[in-house]
Amino acid sequence: MSIIDEFIDRYHRLSRRRLMFAVLFFVVAAVSVIMSLGFGTYHISLTEALNTFIDHISGGVVDRKDDLYVWDIRLPRAIGAAFIGAGLAMGGVVMQNLMQNPLAEPYTMGVSSGAFLGAVLSMMLGFSVVPALSGDMAVVCNAFLFSLIPVAIITLVSRFKKLSPTAIILLGIAIMYVFSSITQYLMVTAEAETLASAYHWRVGSLSKVTWENLPFLVVFVTVISVILYTFHRKLDAMYSGDRCAQTLGVNPSLLRGVCLVLVSLMTAAVVSFTGTIGFIGLVGPHIARMFVGSSNKLLMPSAVAFGAAFLILADTVAKVSGVNGLPVGVISSMVGGPLFLYILIKKNRKVWM
Amino acid sequence: MKSISLKKRTSDKDQFAMDPDAEIDLEINSLSFAYGGPDSDFKVLSDVSLKIHGAQLVSILGPNGVGKSTFIHCLNKILEPTGGTVMVNDNDLSEITVKDLAKVMGYVPYTSSDNFPLSVTDTVLMGRHPHSKWGSIDDDLRVVHEMLTLIGITDLADRNFNELSAGQHQKVMLARGLAQEPRILFLDEPTSNLDVRFQLEITRMLKRLSRQKNMLVIMISHDINIAAKYSDNIIMLFDGGVYAVGRPQDVITSENISHVYEVGAQVITDNGRPHIVLVDDDDTDYDDDHNYHVLRTG
Repeated sequence: MSIIDEFIDRYHRLSRRRLMFAVLFFVVAAVSVIMSLGFGTYHISLTEALNTFIDHISGGVVDRKDDLYVWDIRLPRAIGAAFIGAGLAMGGVVMQNLMQNPLAEPYTMGVSSGAFLGAVLSMMLGFSVVPALSGDMAVVCNAFLFSLIPVAIITLVSRFKKLSPTAIILLGIAIMYVFSSITQYLMVTAEAETLASAYHWRVGSLSKVTWENLPFLVVFVTVISVILYTFHRKLDAMYSGDRCAQTLGVNPSLLRGVCLVLVSLMTAAVVSFTGTIGFIGLVGPHIARMFVGSSNKLLMPSAVAFGAAFLILADTVAKVSGVNGLPVGVISSMVGGPLFLYILIKKNRKVWM
Repeated sequence: MKSISLKKRTSDKDQFAMDPDAEIDLEINSLSFAYGGPDSDFKVLSDVSLKIHGAQLVSILGPNGVGKSTFIHCLNKILEPTGGTVMVNDNDLSEITVKDLAKVMGYVPYTSSDNFPLSVTDTVLMGRHPHSKWGSIDDDLRVVHEMLTLIGITDLADRNFNELSAGQHQKVMLARGLAQEPRILFLDEPTSNLDVRFQLEITRMLKRLSRQKNMLVIMISHDINIAAKYSDNIIMLFDGGVYAVGRPQDVITSENISHVYEVGAQVITDNGRPHIVLVDDDDTDYDDDHNYHVLRTG
């Protein structure tokens, strides 16, 4: 074998080895979806839950109540968790890459603050952007539309003025403050009961994921993630800065504009159903990066797999902790923070500057 | 600001491409650049006209802040000139898409950001992006290996770019520029972080490659002697324009150096090439015979 063949072979071997990380976490995610059917406030053993699951698939529902909990509540929630975790991690990968900033995440542009304002407007004032809607659907719809306002403003501004990544981040933060101030004003004047529900929404929960809205989530996350993946080589070029990317044949402003819109749409779809689930979009990409490096061809699937697995496990803990227990947003940060620190210290390699 | 062209190419207007055997012609016609637009007071370049012909090594010299990098950025479309035109083999640069341009023009920047861990192989592989197609990347990896070997950094292939030293960064970025297989390669101080051996080796290699690959290499340099030793031609920038241009022996004269750099210089000839010795006319007595010392003690 010639030296060149050996070099090429080694590159592919290393890539395959790193891809095992993605495969491992895809398997963990798939197993977790099934396992999570046995966990929750409704008491049913794992074996019974699995039997109920198999019964439903084979068409012979034995226990109506078991079937309701396992098939109608837990399964969509678990699948939703997987896709939400995957989508947020994917969004984080792309945002950190585009912004050249390890602190960027899907919410950096103010998506979550927009969503929260939309939700609060609906909860407290009964305001709905789409007049026909009311109740939960109005909240979701409001959150979705409001969360797209920041990216619309950023896109609008960038038509007149060339925005650097830092300028985009600052603009996002400015918009976030404006939205938060309105939201806070509304919350200060709110009654205790609405305040609690607003706060609960803010922290993030998967309890609203049902078979009815799951397809919406799945389609958004899948389609946008696949589109983003096709940009993987262009996004790699962006690591070396806008100027270099341009000399490599990439139009940095155009790519950034397109990706920001895509990530915002995906994040908006997720956030409007679940509220702000933190941590995974920021740290998920970094954890994957520590194991597979930053080449998007490997990083994207790895982060997606890790995000999916992590959020299902976090939600399982959230469910076990009771009806009024810890929301998944809290769990994910509570477990994820120390986990991240551990890996950061353990993996004694220089990953960032 | 010029908007990004998203229109489909019409069939009668061909995609910009360069015949690999064609001689390179770079024509710069009354190029001007000012940060903040044509009416701004912050003019950097005004009315620069040059014709660069053929595969060769060209060095750009000039004092700090004179606009050497700005000049290069106007030639590779990173900046849009506020006046004048740049023609690449009779094609107006402003009409060539970024994508097409990347197939013929490479750029090795002065600094490189390294916020995220990317392996050296993947970094150099980036240079293949303009030529990339769907499917196997084995052919691209072959080019990557060729360039890593050429620069002598195959041992760094699996290392992360952000773990390397400044000199190693430079070598990797150089390999990436070469992996792009451009017809015109711009380099912004490519050897500034390299030790003397590699300053010589890399510059010599650039000259050799210009012949072997039929490539025009244009580099910014602060090392007058290295530029004089290897360049086919030198462009000396001063005060917003070209102060002198031509063969090293015509440009590197003590008059030019003292005028442009405001420093005394004595020019000697080494192997037919000019070589400068800087003259310091400061006559302060620093008491060089004092007894301060640094000694090895072990």
